[in-house]
Amino acid sequence: MATTLRQQTNPAASPLVGIGYRWQIDAWTRANLEYFDVLEITVDHCIYGGARQRAAIEDLAGRVKLTAHGVGLSIGTDVPLDLAYLDRVAEVVDRLRAPTYSEHLAFTRVPGRDLGNLLPLPRTEAVAKALIAKVRTVQARVPVPFLLENIANVFEWPDSALSEAEFLGLICRETGAGILLDVENLYVNAHNHGVDPHAFLDALPAGSVREIHVAGGIEWRAAGLKAPFRADSHSHPAPRGALDLLDRTLARQTPTAIVLERDDRLEATDEILSDVARIRARLAKTRTPARHVAVA
Amino acid sequence: MSRLLERQASLLAYLTGPAAIFGGRRGPADAHLAGIDRERLHLEASFSHAKRMEKICGVFAKTFELLGPGSRRVVRDFATACPPTDIGRLHNARQFHDFLRRRWRRQPPRRRYLPDVLACEFALAEARSRAEDGVAPPTALGGKRAGRIRRKPEIILLRCRHDIRSVFEGTSSRVPRRAIHLAIAAADADAPEVSELTSPIFKLLTALDTPRRRTELGAGAELDAVLDALVARRLVEACR
Repeated sequence: MATTLRQQTNPAASPLVGIGYRWQIDAWTRANLEYFDVLEITVDHCIYGGARQRAAIEDLAGRVKLTAHGVGLSIGTDVPLDLAYLDRVAEVVDRLRAPTYSEHLAFTRVPGRDLGNLLPLPRTEAVAKALIAKVRTVQARVPVPFLLENIANVFEWPDSALSEAEFLGLICRETGAGILLDVENLYVNAHNHGVDPHAFLDALPAGSVREIHVAGGIEWRAAGLKAPFRADSHSHPAPRGALDLLDRTLARQTPTAIVLERDDRLEATDEILSDVARIRARLAKTRTPARHVAVA
Repeated sequence: MSRLLERQASLLAYLTGPAAIFGGRRGPADAHLAGIDRERLHLEASFSHAKRMEKICGVFAKTFELLGPGSRRVVRDFATACPPTDIGRLHNARQFHDFLRRRWRRQPPRRRYLPDVLACEFALAEARSRAEDGVAPPTALGGKRAGRIRRKPEIILLRCRHDIRSVFEGTSSRVPRRAIHLAIAAADADAPEVSELTSPIFKLLTALDTPRRRTELGAGAELDAVLDALVARRLVEACR
């Protein structure tokens, strides 16, 4: 398998490429750190995780660049933000020396119930207005650029008047927040909801995409479903279609980091390295690094 | 409550309920959910439910094995009675544990040792969680508290009505009704240790749930020897 070591490039010219850090494969990640320019840390693991996990993550802070990604904010739940949680996020971001903090444009819970899954919001101007206020609160509380990520949604609210690109673009334009573009989520939504992924990408302002997520999922077949459903399970190699969307994104955007997300079948580490190599190969087509080190 | 929050609350109430999770002929009656594709809601609910049950089944593998086909009814009743309030693995495991204990108080299971198996698996999960948390070592409490001892916080005590060792070791299908006393610890989160204790030692370790002076526990060379042995076995620690 052809593998590619970390690029010896000017980070300002080429996005950093790496993976989402997972505690279950901590030892393997450290043994293969040379393949990653960056590791994305889930801030909630630093806040709620065990002492050993937290220590392991903080030990990485001086060894490799780290970005901060959250899953616990539930910014879309229509209640005031948990300011104490945001303050803890700010502490984590500071300890990790992370240049950005990202979260999902979604909600996961309401008081008394937590689904543990990302749910879409009705894409209306009224909801966007409420979210704009919340994004400003996050920006005031966490002193690094804040990014919003598009999600893969299973269902749609019937009163969504704006497209996903319009909704995300409106919030980011009004607040100055950046976008964490998940190309796999876009690929999945194109399949499941008929979203035009090219129109989505073309609608995003140039320069608004600061980071990118890549992942691979599964096809779900069940009685009652009119067609197979693609699930963003983070369990398999990234599909070619998602990488094609990465190409299109890189033609207009200059993200600082591209992160491969993997949450299942973590023992298939060859697949993880292969996906990182595939991302670098796509990147090489659109960028000319100052110097590139490759091994077969 | 804002209208959006009402809609969100209605959605989560539906998605965490049996109609959405297990499917049914009727879709949500709630007006807040009108117009949302019913099959897609069923898919969302079943995905979330599967994720939650994966965490729970990971903790109670032996319990589920022993429940057999009856587990389907149990899971359905659990999902109905105990919607998810947190995403944590131990939190959801505790919900399931408490649900089954209440169920079995009303109607004991055919295998009468199942509650012991359930309790042991939950204790193992708790021990792993404490090991991952890296329970803090005893702090120096100063001269006034010198000479106190306590059970190490990561040790979990469990009294079982049945000798369930053969269930986990797979050595026999016989599960004698014989009380056993266990100490469960996880120095390493991947490999918890289970030790059987005598009844007097179990009672002593229970008494050491909070720091106590040695003199409060009694006097004599025999007691000192027992306490020293418990310290050596890392079940008890001195608080300086």
